Amino acid sequence: MRSFQRRRGAGLLAMLAFTGSVILVGVAGPVAAADPVILTVGTTQDLDASNPFNTELVVGYEAFALTYSLLVDFDKDAHPAPGFADSWERSADRVTFKIGSDRKWSDGQPATSEDVCYSWGLALAAIKDESYIGSGYLDPGVKDAGVTKIECPDPNTFIAYTTDPSDRVFQVYVPILPKHIWGKDDYKKIAEETFDAPLVGTGPYTLAEWKTGQFARFVRNPNWWGAGKGFEDEVVLRFFADNTDTMVQALKAGELDYAHGVNSDQFKQLQADTATYTTVAGAANGWTQLAFNTYGTGTGKTIKNGGASTKALQDAAFRDALGYATDHQALVDRVLGGFGDPGDTVVPPVLTDFHVTPDNPRTFNIDLAKQKLDAAGYKLDANNKRLDKEGKPINLRLYYPNTDDNYKKVAQFVAEWYGQLGIGVTHQSFDSDTLTALLLPPEGDGTAKYDIELWGWSGSPDPNGLLYVFLCNQIGTSSDSNYCNKQYDDLYAKESKEGGAERKATLAQMQNLIYNEAPYDVLYYDANLDAYRNDRFAGWQNMPANGTPFFTYGTLNYTLLTDATAVPTPGPTVLATAGPSGPAATQGPVTGGTSGGGGNTTLWIVLVVAVIVIVGGWWLYRRRTAPAAEEE
Amino acid sequence: MSGRYLGRKLVQAMVTVFAIILLNFVLFRLMPGSPDRATKNPHLTAAVIEGNRARWGLDKPLFPDQLVNYVEETLTGDLGYSIKYRGQPVTEVVLEAMGPTLLLIGLGELIAIIVGLALGARSGWVRGGKVDRIGNGVSLIFYSMPYFVIGMPLIIIFAAGLHWFPTSGMTSPGGSKDLVASLFDVGRHLVLPLAAVSLGLIGAYSILMRASIIETRAEDYVMTARAKGLADGRILRAHAFPNALLPMVTLIAINLGYVVAGAITAEIVFTWPGLGTLTVQALAARDYPLLQAIFLIIAVSVVLANLAADIIYSYLDPRVRS
Repeated sequence: MRSFQRRRGAGLLAMLAFTGSVILVGVAGPVAAADPVILTVGTTQDLDASNPFNTELVVGYEAFALTYSLLVDFDKDAHPAPGFADSWERSADRVTFKIGSDRKWSDGQPATSEDVCYSWGLALAAIKDESYIGSGYLDPGVKDAGVTKIECPDPNTFIAYTTDPSDRVFQVYVPILPKHIWGKDDYKKIAEETFDAPLVGTGPYTLAEWKTGQFARFVRNPNWWGAGKGFEDEVVLRFFADNTDTMVQALKAGELDYAHGVNSDQFKQLQADTATYTTVAGAANGWTQLAFNTYGTGTGKTIKNGGASTKALQDAAFRDALGYATDHQALVDRVLGGFGDPGDTVVPPVLTDFHVTPDNPRTFNIDLAKQKLDAAGYKLDANNKRLDKEGKPINLRLYYPNTDDNYKKVAQFVAEWYGQLGIGVTHQSFDSDTLTALLLPPEGDGTAKYDIELWGWSGSPDPNGLLYVFLCNQIGTSSDSNYCNKQYDDLYAKESKEGGAERKATLAQMQNLIYNEAPYDVLYYDANLDAYRNDRFAGWQNMPANGTPFFTYGTLNYTLLTDATAVPTPGPTVLATAGPSGPAATQGPVTGGTSGGGGNTTLWIVLVVAVIVIVGGWWLYRRRTAPAAEEE
Repeated sequence: MSGRYLGRKLVQAMVTVFAIILLNFVLFRLMPGSPDRATKNPHLTAAVIEGNRARWGLDKPLFPDQLVNYVEETLTGDLGYSIKYRGQPVTEVVLEAMGPTLLLIGLGELIAIIVGLALGARSGWVRGGKVDRIGNGVSLIFYSMPYFVIGMPLIIIFAAGLHWFPTSGMTSPGGSKDLVASLFDVGRHLVLPLAAVSLGLIGAYSILMRASIIETRAEDYVMTARAKGLADGRILRAHAFPNALLPMVTLIAINLGYVVAGAITAEIVFTWPGLGTLTVQALAARDYPLLQAIFLIIAVSVVLANLAADIIYSYLDPRVRS
């Protein structure tokens, strides 16, 4: 028995020794010599696919854009710039792209127009079959650009024939794939490929390793022919699925150089330490809106046992009056923590070439809203309830998805403001799928039983990515206001064939039309809150100027970074975008803490709290148990 | 142990597993939403969405087509393709996540069992002593704390503050191909999540073991051993401890059954690429095939662990068999 116990004791010791050694090994982990320079970028999304056609996430776009060039890339202002093609020439019905003769893939194979014909050909084949590739997000860009036919007359020339002379052909987000690797795949087969690392590409870095749920590692493409060359030898995207807390700790620990998508509290904390971090509140290409159920406007249709609870929502004058009762700036300040911009027109300001402010802007004024409602025939009854033209008190149902805590706060504000007008609001959240089904009218096999939907949209580099939702033909699919206006449809068709200043003028007309007709009340334009460390890399550039360095269009910024330690004295950090206090706020030097000061402060707080809890708990426990022990 | 007893338990386990398979099918289809809506791609036309539904077998009626198909494929080990991780078979996705979970939670359980049982035994044996007061107090504190509450201070102190360990993940990008170096790397990443999981589990074992030892201490055979003049430590180790272990078998078995489920909050906090994290991802994407597979594995492992507990129990305590 004794010997058995000894053996058991020895086993236990061995196990503890093993565990201990793992821990000790952990503390004293080896550091490899001559490590490559690695840029590590954190994001709260988890990469879903390395096949460009299958990803549905922003991080997926970032991943494939690093590996594969687009035919036309984006410059720092998100304008067309040389990508796979060096130059191009636009004529009325075609664009002729020129590709350099000495271009190579990362495996050394020649990169030619045949690769473009193959990649765009996949999209055209899917369009011809009225189908799609993979998730179906990339190929519709070729259709939207009006491309009807493509040709590759020689290895250095690619010609795309278009229905109109618009510029959208330069914003097609189809990656150019190596034909010598995937050439045997048609558009159906390519969607089934898993695109296992390592991948062959023409981007600045190519995917070398992907650990699901952890990271994706990209190595420098030796044959990259772009203008810039980043200081980093490798790029690592690290995934912190829905976990901003750990991501921020990793940034503080120096494991990350860049964190994408921190929350407003973390952002403010990092902002306080300008010596260590630069924070960027980049304008997002999207908004959060109130969408009014205008079903029947422009069509005269009604829904049996469904639709809005009052016909007032079909009246532009009624919707316009409601627009004076929502304080957009207050929502930005009190819901978004100051990060974001008050909303107006349906092209976000980040699309600087196209956004216009409204000709007749509404300002928050409850009294004016009341006057406008009175003037439009919506009177108050004896109980101070606002009546519609049928004499019925107006009580609106406001629905929103449960995906964002902010929506609930917004709904409470809106209910309070509309309440001051004598309009009742009941608000309720749903999971996204249930809400989507609830919004659909008969054209989408639903009954559209709602009055106001509170949700958001995000767009593409071209404003059409957002403007199409107001088309009559989107009722039953993408439209969440069920708005229909022939004048708007005509303008959309017109601008789709235009380019330059002509198109811009038409787009301005459309933005004002939607603003005045108010099927939407665009509450605010959201912000992307990012932060990066100042100690390792310099040369950061926001893309565009009011955007963020990464997770935007293209991958230019990865090729611009330089060695921060090579700069004699890192200058004061500058917030290039709107800070919490309003637009165009530039921030000068702030007397911040020393490097890592924020992290150490937190550490001390945690240590002190831990000691207090332990000592306090111990003291309380002693008090509780002391008499019992004495009795024993 | 009689063959009849074993046979009865095996049949019970098999019936339970089959019931789980059926329940598994129904449960996820009762959830609001559907995978074809989860994509929310505004470019897709109705015809394309319909094609998608056909591809995933969602166009057929739930009963009998989808159910029969599901049962047939499950029984043959074909768990289908993941909707979120496109193109990858579910078995591949699940197996990839199972290793990290087994490593983290398995090792965490092992440490917690050893330390928890030793601490609980010592606390109960010398009730009111120093070990009891400190050990029981600390056990209660950690027992009542969720993993993320334990984990986040560990990250703040030992990763962000002292830089001793990485904040999260399981391996470093571009890790060495050398096996020893790879083990070192995983070891470094493992320390903090392992500490969080172990601390969280020690409390449960310690508290139960303490109660069990206190009960055993009053037994006649312990008194007899004392009367015979045996050393106190010897009585604890050779007589009281083995008998007090009996109730622990159930707790250990149930906990071991959940090892594969992972500790969702612990995995999320440390972005540990295990089944817990995968479950959250699959839920968000309404990935039916993946969710079904995960829940099936969890349920089956719990059933098997309970079966093992029944068998071990019948060995340890002959009264159970009768």
